[in-house]
Amino acid sequence: MDTSKPDPFSQLRAVMSNQAVSMLLILIVMWFLLSLLSPYFFTVGNLSEITLQTAVIGIIAAGETLVILSGGIDLSVGSAFACSGVAGGLVFQATGNLWLTSAATLLTGAALGSLNGLFITRLRVPPFIATLGMLGMARGLALILSRGIPIFGLSKEYLWIGQGKLFDVVPVPTLILLAVFALVFFIARYTRFGRFIYATGSNAEAAKLSGINLGRVILITYALSGLLCGVGAMIEAARLGTVQPAGGNGYELLAIGAVVIGGTSLFGGEGNVIATLIGALLETTIRNGLNLLGVNAFWQYVVNGAVIIAAVAVDQWRRRI
Amino acid sequence: MLKSVNFELQSGEVHALLGENGAGKSTLIKILAGAYTADSGSIWFRNEVVQGKYGPKVAEDLGIVTIYQHFHLIPHLTVAENLALKSFISEPGWFVNWRTVQQRAQEALTRLHFPINPAARVKDLSIAQQQMLEIAIALSKKAQVIVMDEPTAALSKRETEVLFGLIDQLKKRGLGIVYVSHKLEEIKMIGDRITILRDGNNVATLEAKTAELKDIIRLMIGASRTSESRRDALLKETVLFAVDHLQNKHFREPLDLVVHEHEILGITGLVGAGKTELTRVIFGADQKSAGEIRFAGQTLSLRHPRDAVQLGLGYVPEDRDGKGLCLNLAVRENLGLATLVKLKGWLFDRGGERKQVRHAVSSMRIQMRGIEQPVKYLSGGNKQKVVLGKWFAAQCKLLVLDEPTVGIDVGARQDIYGLIQQFRREPEHAVILVTSDIDEVLEIADRILVLADYRVVTELDPARTDKQEILEYCARRAAPPAF
Repeated sequence: MDTSKPDPFSQLRAVMSNQAVSMLLILIVMWFLLSLLSPYFFTVGNLSEITLQTAVIGIIAAGETLVILSGGIDLSVGSAFACSGVAGGLVFQATGNLWLTSAATLLTGAALGSLNGLFITRLRVPPFIATLGMLGMARGLALILSRGIPIFGLSKEYLWIGQGKLFDVVPVPTLILLAVFALVFFIARYTRFGRFIYATGSNAEAAKLSGINLGRVILITYALSGLLCGVGAMIEAARLGTVQPAGGNGYELLAIGAVVIGGTSLFGGEGNVIATLIGALLETTIRNGLNLLGVNAFWQYVVNGAVIIAAVAVDQWRRRI
Repeated sequence: MLKSVNFELQSGEVHALLGENGAGKSTLIKILAGAYTADSGSIWFRNEVVQGKYGPKVAEDLGIVTIYQHFHLIPHLTVAENLALKSFISEPGWFVNWRTVQQRAQEALTRLHFPINPAARVKDLSIAQQQMLEIAIALSKKAQVIVMDEPTAALSKRETEVLFGLIDQLKKRGLGIVYVSHKLEEIKMIGDRITILRDGNNVATLEAKTAELKDIIRLMIGASRTSESRRDALLKETVLFAVDHLQNKHFREPLDLVVHEHEILGITGLVGAGKTELTRVIFGADQKSAGEIRFAGQTLSLRHPRDAVQLGLGYVPEDRDGKGLCLNLAVRENLGLATLVKLKGWLFDRGGERKQVRHAVSSMRIQMRGIEQPVKYLSGGNKQKVVLGKWFAAQCKLLVLDEPTVGIDVGARQDIYGLIQQFRREPEHAVILVTSDIDEVLEIADRILVLADYRVVTELDPARTDKQEILEYCARRAAPPAF
């Protein structure tokens, strides 16, 4: 009952019972095993490749974490990603201006996310349905705007965002990934808005009766998720040098997978952002490892799906004991 | 939780289980239900010790059925389907004979004289009817022992009488009933014996008929605690809050009320009198169609609870878990929530929050493992202190309380009354206390309004009235009962 002095063991126990910590341990074990199995795995080149491959999904998953913490879900991230990429690509073709291209990509993402938020708060459509609808609409819009044709010819300067390296070692997307996670972590933990997200996800009625503006919290959360899809789209376009209107297919599953592997509850109000980064790294490591080991690429889907189920099973088991 | 408890139940007996929060009542009934396992000790049934591991299946086979405070019914299914669920599981075959299901349900309900339509959906039943259904289900499972956890918590006076009649019937059939409640008078009425738990031990078993109320309370709380006297010189006649000619979809006739500075205005009435609806309009959760609400001299336009919060109102809803708390968030986060809402800007001072929460926790005597513990693990009384603390921390001036002590034991209840008293002493503070517990308004309100059928029937001075009179006013214009 003594509240002033927390006992040291309870803190240790709290750390050990944290899903993020157990997933980090699994990640480290996995890296260790993979470096035994493949001499190429534990090289600076490959490790930076893993973070590079994690960047796009990780950034989208960061936004998805906020949405899920608020008690919602965003199924439209893959489509919003493609649509904002296409919007940026078209602006580049028309103007050739990199600033305008970036602005168009980010704003399209944020606008699609805001629409999700409006469907949910104004039309009272459940998040699952609203974003399922948006999944279709944004994908269709991406294909219509681009006429289904990939956009080429992005300039060298733009490609730096996806292909550049700081000091010839750290890929620029990795830096953006870290910056995004630092920012989202800060929002979730140190801002009033972040606390309101948790409260809304934990009990929307109680949050409302405590005076929280639920509509605004939800709207901003989905807008942020959309904005981060735009960030992901910029990186992918710059990395590949082209914008694929059919790109980002299945990203929603990878993003949601990263969130739940990190232990964030799909019921909302419980979980943390850094855990999602670990979840995303875990997913990429599996793909990377299977590639290095020469496993048929189709198996990646099976393994990734199995890992999501296993991670949540472990989480459930830990909550019981 | 339990240290050493002996408890025996005879057939045809109502054995009441009493104790403060954390005394071990819930733990004991969960052990009886097989939900928890005892570390040591044994369970005897009909003079034989129960062999092997005692679990939910064993309890069910013995005929020990628990009716929890929160019912285990499936709201979207019909009464008949809920009654038949057990047989769906235990009887072989793929197909359901709906006619038999319907017939069996009808028979079971008629046998018990329950006026419930078997085709009605459970979500449309009143709480009392749901409770009857739980009892019918228990009997259909061939129950020998029924454990009832706070069965009257959500029942009106009349519904309670119906329940008591039913319990008498069950007694006559030779069932044993374990009755957990905080309402001492009720236990004196219905119970045969009373076992009192304190700190995980049983301190006494008494005959209900001869036990004195004050002795029971003394045994429960260990030492006598005195409640503060309320009618002091504080009361002035400055109107702090007023509702003029309020109307909306519930309140067809204009409703008026005033609350003075430092006052605790008690509002009571039967279930369905419009108490909760009134609190919701006052707090901006429901809209008014006409009338005016004034607070500290200015007219309020409350379109949303957040308007009320910004203006210095606080609301403690009846449904503590469902509407008052973010259960999986920490005590700290719950206590700080309303304060955070009233701040401006994106950032807030986490250290300041922690300090404020620590202060609230120690001054309110909230029992928990630490401020980072999720609030869902706290007992009812401590949860309610967190809800109150949230508004105290946010420096609200008018507290609107809806059934603030429902399901809370005697000791914690006195703590909560103390906190309310302390709150209203502050300048420009006042309390609206809405409750169906007449003893509660008599104990702490300065003035009593009786509500019936969405109208204020009368205003009473607690010093010059009694329970009898209030009840008569309650019933005066009450809507016809549900059954």
